[in-house]
Amino acid sequence: MSELLQVESLCIGLKQTGKPIVKQVSFALRKGAALAVVGESGSGKTLTCKAILRLLHDRTFTVSGSIRYRGQELLAASERDMRALRGNRIAMIVQHPMMAFDPTATIGTQITETIMAHRRISKRDAYSSGVRALERMNLPRCEQLMNSYPSELSGGMLQRIVIALAIIHEPDVIIADEPTTALDVRNQSMVLQELKQLKQSGIGLLLVTHDFGVAAGLADEMLVMREGEVIERGTVHDVFAAPREAYTKELLEARILMRKEDRHDRDEGCIQTV
Amino acid sequence: MVSMIRRRLTGLAVVLFGVTLLSFLLASISPVDPAEAYALRVTQQPTPEQIAAIRVELGLHLPLHQQYFRWVGNLLQGDLGISYLTKKPVLSDIAEKLPVTLQLVGLALVWVALVTVPIGILTALKPGTLFDQAVRWATILGISLPSFWLGFLLLLLFTLILPVFQVVNAGTLGSLILPSLTLAVPAASAFIRLFRATLLSNLNKDYVVYARARGIRQSRIVWVHVVKNSLPPLITLFCQYVGLLVTGSAVVESLFSLPGIGMHLVNASMARDLPTVNGCVLVIALIFVLTRTAAELINARLNPKLTDKEERLYG
Repeated sequence: MSELLQVESLCIGLKQTGKPIVKQVSFALRKGAALAVVGESGSGKTLTCKAILRLLHDRTFTVSGSIRYRGQELLAASERDMRALRGNRIAMIVQHPMMAFDPTATIGTQITETIMAHRRISKRDAYSSGVRALERMNLPRCEQLMNSYPSELSGGMLQRIVIALAIIHEPDVIIADEPTTALDVRNQSMVLQELKQLKQSGIGLLLVTHDFGVAAGLADEMLVMREGEVIERGTVHDVFAAPREAYTKELLEARILMRKEDRHDRDEGCIQTV
Repeated sequence: MVSMIRRRLTGLAVVLFGVTLLSFLLASISPVDPAEAYALRVTQQPTPEQIAAIRVELGLHLPLHQQYFRWVGNLLQGDLGISYLTKKPVLSDIAEKLPVTLQLVGLALVWVALVTVPIGILTALKPGTLFDQAVRWATILGISLPSFWLGFLLLLLFTLILPVFQVVNAGTLGSLILPSLTLAVPAASAFIRLFRATLLSNLNKDYVVYARARGIRQSRIVWVHVVKNSLPPLITLFCQYVGLLVTGSAVVESLFSLPGIGMHLVNASMARDLPTVNGCVLVIALIFVLTRTAAELINARLNPKLTDKEERLYG
């Protein structure tokens, strides 16, 4: 079986009211493949991501269905087994790199603790392999970066650190939740480039985005979600060429419109600065 | 950090100037004449001449600004004047009374810290449980109890019903247990509520979710990250409470007959003992300003972001 991750009939609901938020979502992720989950905000994409890593509080949410990683049922796994998988076999890239780190701890502390969470090595070794991980991401002055606090770094730098941390344990699956949303255009293309390389190295990539452009650039297959339901699925090519659902068409058109406006805004911005 | 300390020290001078000026002005608009009060303590029925003589002797005949500058001049030489009441130097009176209060407040804050940290963490980690509910009701009760009433209850309990240790025996640690508990109960209640709320808001932050997503142990997330991020408001309040409890200790001190600075200040105010009042106010203001500065320095150490902002704001 080549499926790394198989999600079947995943349902997420609010515990208190019983209101369903994610309904009967199913998909599979293969090695070296990228699956994009596209939808507007509030469509349940991020909740689906968090549910896979079992990061949702059971005080607030009920999760049912099946999530299997290499055949292992995650919804039935112990917290201890889950901890061993998180960040190690299944890693996550977050939406807001500026808020992803503890503001009171140095980047170095947070990198070494991530390494030591899954490897039995000394603090010093963890530290130096942290420096190497940052160097691999082409970050400048890595020793200095290790001693800096998150508030001292830019969003693009922090997102590169997040990516460095995601691949530090060579995971099989990376869940990237809106990895480019909080970044400027230059950092966006840098991050997309990184993700493309990861995919080529054989990692299964689950890409969550509201941006069809990002999905088209990276993914092979895509799901379109609306109000917690999958309303369209297929290869990226098919969905773009012939969207079956009116909603998908709407989203695609909205994007084209947005692009135009964006360009318009940028032109205006240029004029203003001149 | 250094610029922050320098800024605080300048602020300290300004605050102390304002406080001494205010306590001087407020004392002068009081309807009771300090010279008359003094004379009444010396003789049964003082004549107006005697009162006038005393006024000159105490320097109270001078215009207010001259009195103030004379007082500040003496203060700069380390002289706070002579108490009208005890006839001893104000400074030596304070040096005698303050340690009692500081011990009392110190012990009370030890109780507060010991109780707040574990209970705050336990309730924040499992909100809504029976324990959490119980703590909530207990803290509401603790905040609303008047301290004199609580003190009486404790006295009653430990003197008549459960006489396990000596309650009134100034100078020993045992004699401080009940009064410090009386001070600690309302304070700890406020602290537990604040700490629980801060911890809860931190537990819901993105960095906690992301730390869990990286496989970091829950115990490490809580103790290293969440607790550290939740400390600054607690430390600010804690340091404020040093000053608040020193001033608020009068009730407890009178209840447990402790010769502390709270009682000293109340007695001095009643007797129009102006040098003592001004001296005590100065010392208490100093405690407030110093603890506030300490809180800011500790917080800046804990959270580098706080210093950054300050530096940017104040250049």
